[in-house]
Amino acid sequence: MTATIRSEIEAQFIQVAQEQGNRLAPLTDDLALLDSGLDSLCFAIIVARLEGLLGVDPFTLSDDVLFPVTFGDFVRLYENATK
Amino acid sequence: MRNVIVTGGSRGIGLGICRKLAAEGYRVIAIARTQNGQLAEAMREAEDRNPGSFQFVSFDLSAIDSIPDLVQTLHKGHGAIYGLVNNAGISFHGILSQMPTAQIEQLVRVNTTSPIVLTKYVVRTMMAGGGGRIVNIASIIASTGYSGLSVYGATKSSLTGFTRSLAREVGRMGITVNSVAPGFIDTDLTQSVQGEHRQKIEHRSALRRLAEIDDVANAVEFLLSERAKNITGTVLTVDAGNTA
Repeated sequence: MTATIRSEIEAQFIQVAQEQGNRLAPLTDDLALLDSGLDSLCFAIIVARLEGLLGVDPFTLSDDVLFPVTFGDFVRLYENATK
Repeated sequence: MRNVIVTGGSRGIGLGICRKLAAEGYRVIAIARTQNGQLAEAMREAEDRNPGSFQFVSFDLSAIDSIPDLVQTLHKGHGAIYGLVNNAGISFHGILSQMPTAQIEQLVRVNTTSPIVLTKYVVRTMMAGGGGRIVNIASIIASTGYSGLSVYGATKSSLTGFTRSLAREVGRMGITVNSVAPGFIDTDLTQSVQGEHRQKIEHRSALRRLAEIDDVANAVEFLLSERAKNITGTVLTVDAGNTA
C-alpha cells in the first residue's frame, strides 16, 4: 500500500509538471519542494487530484498541518493520512 | 450533460438561471434550503423535455462547515462539475447605525463567506479536471450606492473583488471566473422596494424599464458557454442602463 501511495504521488508530480510546462527536479526524499520546479498552483492541482485518487486530503483533515518541506515529508504525510 | 451547480436555485433569479441552463442542455443542480411549488413545476417541465436535466439538493448554505461534504457528495453523485453559479444571497434593508450586529454577520456569512468556501471546494475538482466556469451573482449595489444597503453592498463588492483575483489564480487551469451584476429585478428579495421607489429606478434607467430575470439568466448562460471562453475576471452588468 505504501509503495502504491508513493508511486501515485510521483506520477502526479510528473504529470502536473508536464501539463503546466514546468521542469521537474529528480524526485528524491530530500528534495526541497521549493526546488522541485513546481509552483503553488501545481501543488494545489496535485493535492486536488490525490484527493480523488486516494480519497484523502491531509491538508483539510486538520488546521494544524503545515505544508511539507521535502518530497519525502510530502509522501509521509499522505502515508500517515491513509493509514 | 455538463453539471452546473446553482445556489439559491429555488426561486427568483436562481430559479430563472436553472430553467435557462436546463433548457440549454446542462444538468442543473439547484441548491437551496427548501423546495417550493415553482421549483417543483420547473423541475417537472425540465424532466419532460430533457430527463435528468434539473436536480435539487436541499442544503443550508450558511452551514459552512458542511460545505466540503456537500461538494464531495455532489461530485460522487454527479461526476465532474463544469460550472458553479454563486447566486444565493440575502438582503436586509436598514440603516447601518441601527442594524443588529448579528444581522451584519449573517449577511457576510451567507453572501460572502459561504460562496467563497463553496468555490474553494468546487474549484479543486475543476483544477483536477482541467477546466470550468464560475459565475458570481453580484449586484450594481457593489459599485453604486443605495441608502439602507451598505452591508449588502459590502458583500456584493466582495464578490467582484473575489472574482478578479480568483480569475488570475485559476486562469492557467482553463477556469474562467466572472461576475454578473443585476440591477433592480422583481423578486422576493426586492419586494421591500415598491411603488414610488421602483418607478424612480425605472425612470433613472437608460432604457426606461427594469431588467428581468431572463436577462440575468441569459448573461449567466453566455458566460458558461464556449462563446465566453476568453472572458474572465470581469463584471457583466444587466440593469437596463441604470448605472450607465
